[in-house]
Amino acid sequence: MSGRQGSSLVPQRIDGYAPIEAYAAIGDGRTVALVSADGAIDWWCLPDIDGAAACWALLDAEGGGRMTLQPTTEYTVSRRYVANTNVLETTYTTATGQVRVTDALLLGEPGLAPLRELYRRVDGVSGRVTMRWQFAPRFDFGRTPTRFVWRAGVPVAQGRGQALAVCTWAAGDAELGSNEAWAQFTLDAGGSAGILLAYAGGEPLVLPPRGEVDARLRETCRTWREWAKSRSYDGRWREAVVRSALALKLLVHAPSGALAAAATTALPEMIGGERNWDYRYCWVRDSAFILDTLTSLGCAPEAEAFFWWLMHASALTHPRLQVLYRLDGGAEAPESELALDGYRGSRPVRVGNAAQGQLQLDVYGDLLEAAWRYAHTCGTIDPEIARRLAQTADLVADVWRQPDSGIWEVRSEPQHFTQSKMMCVIALERAAALADLGILPSRHASHWRAEAKAVRDFVERNCWSPDAGAYVRAAGSTDLDASVLLAVLFGYAPPADERLRSTVDAIGERLVHGPFVARYTGDDGLAGSEGAFLACSFWLVEALARTGRRPRATALFEELLTHANDVGLYSEEVDPGSGAFLGNFPQGLTHLALISAATALAGEGSRP
Amino acid sequence: MVWGAVAGGFAGTLVLTTVLRAASELSLTRIDLPFLLGTALTNDRKRAKALGYVLHFAVGQLFAFGYLALFVVIGHSGWLLGAVFGLAHGLFSITALVNVLLPVVHPRMGSTYTAAGSAPLLEPPGFLVRNYGARTPEITIAAHIAYGALVGALISLAS
Repeated sequence: MSGRQGSSLVPQRIDGYAPIEAYAAIGDGRTVALVSADGAIDWWCLPDIDGAAACWALLDAEGGGRMTLQPTTEYTVSRRYVANTNVLETTYTTATGQVRVTDALLLGEPGLAPLRELYRRVDGVSGRVTMRWQFAPRFDFGRTPTRFVWRAGVPVAQGRGQALAVCTWAAGDAELGSNEAWAQFTLDAGGSAGILLAYAGGEPLVLPPRGEVDARLRETCRTWREWAKSRSYDGRWREAVVRSALALKLLVHAPSGALAAAATTALPEMIGGERNWDYRYCWVRDSAFILDTLTSLGCAPEAEAFFWWLMHASALTHPRLQVLYRLDGGAEAPESELALDGYRGSRPVRVGNAAQGQLQLDVYGDLLEAAWRYAHTCGTIDPEIARRLAQTADLVADVWRQPDSGIWEVRSEPQHFTQSKMMCVIALERAAALADLGILPSRHASHWRAEAKAVRDFVERNCWSPDAGAYVRAAGSTDLDASVLLAVLFGYAPPADERLRSTVDAIGERLVHGPFVARYTGDDGLAGSEGAFLACSFWLVEALARTGRRPRATALFEELLTHANDVGLYSEEVDPGSGAFLGNFPQGLTHLALISAATALAGEGSRP
Repeated sequence: MVWGAVAGGFAGTLVLTTVLRAASELSLTRIDLPFLLGTALTNDRKRAKALGYVLHFAVGQLFAFGYLALFVVIGHSGWLLGAVFGLAHGLFSITALVNVLLPVVHPRMGSTYTAAGSAPLLEPPGFLVRNYGARTPEITIAAHIAYGALVGALISLAS
């Protein structure tokens, strides 16, 4: 899949920080932990992905919580996921031997399991290797004191209402400091050791025996394999598509069906910059992509759960939509700053996201596009939901003339963004089409069509630049915006449309750096710049494929695949010069765009 | 009086459970009595919680009849005397009942003498149940005082 996959490397850190691409993600459908190539768990939120972190050295190498496990002597590393799973396998090679570490967040069956459990199993492969582990969690981003005590012979870290036990088997005699535990052990070929981090929040700890933990690890592998096996893509890039599907599954919040945009907060879009956002929420702008991807991969239960989560969450703000909602469906995501150093000095470190309060007109198009796809692929839309969708279309007909903050959530003055207006066209036309099918009430259908035509006239009159040969970023602007590629993907006009084809060409020439595509040119109200946006790069692949430039699309797609990290994951952005990852990780939208592009290239992407 | 004990046992357990659950939600303690009781019978989390609530309310009824017996012996009942019983009940719970007796009879709970062995182990409560959080003793006692006051008041009203 990736040119870097399977190769041995010597992990490096800069000022205590591992490169973002050095991380692999493990998860259990509720929370995600990031494991670096040097064996450190530098990110783990508890009890859920959007909770406060107990391991957060990712955002503060000096004071952040972490769990390390590595050989005591120099080593090289090679990593992979156990085939078709989200279970990570890291092999350390030293001068004296080789060990393999298997990392997994266990899925909970069989037996009485801890509320959350992260298992690190170490197997001796050859020779003899001495390993050292150290666990120093800091609950609640360090705002809660953490203290280690012994419980039934087990070291337990306690915080306010929370506890993490370190159950070990053949992993040395633990020593305790006031807020950390550590031990050293030696493993011969054929031997094995285990370290389990068992979490309890609001209940007594469960301290399971090793036999049950190993059984749950096997069951976890089996469950992931079964899930991956039933994904319905059989094209030539199945490995990359299934890895992306597994990455997305890590971001699906199993209790609600929502999909987090990423597993982290505040990883910077530029090292040392201020573009450090919290992505542990679900963005409505991703909804059409999510439904399309889930259904194209044969994930009908996940697609249904997501649509019902979306309709449940948006009921709180109906008929207006927020840009994002919490994974539990809540509407509040107040933004605040944590007093942490930030990844390689990138401050502020934000939790919560102020974009929730912005007006972004494109989300209405995403919602009605999602409803359109749901109605065609998953099931029926009940009358209550249909009535709400019709009221949403009425709202779009009323508000499309307003300027907004656009899909990229700029913090400069609102503008008449082209992509926002195009998505208003999609919203109104999809609502009218659903009414024609008898799914939505048809009372206002002719009004929706009339307003759709008015928006389209606005776009064609004000957002097309003959000089640029493209639809520009906003009415009257000369800047380009890669989000306009979505017009091809969502069917704003037929793929043969000359203006669309010309826009794809212009973006493919003026926003690219090698295989990477920048989001836009022009101001966004923030200081500094950013890397290239990986989802845009895959959107360009899909736009090229859909407008008939398949060989060029295939070449670009295959080049992008070589820029995944060694375990096949992508972040939000990439430094086009060095290929280093930037932004939150792993990024759902990038993996959604990858799957969508692969499906389009395979010729399976005909939209309903 | 018997119906007063039944009503008091139910209402008192309801309030006791609510106080402990609220304290847990506020991150003041990790004690979860229904979970502790239910896991004595099953290792299935969902069934343990459901069974635990049934058991907890049954135990609440038993204690209410114990209170009734004491009221009959003393020849007096009321919310204040009930609250005093609740205080004693709470102290007994955190020093002996949950701390000492429960680990002995609970098949899945560890003690200071056991390491993670052949069966799943629940974290032991520790002295004054402080393993589940430093504020657990006062919260548990306050919840039991509320339980006792309600049992006393309703038995008094029914007599």
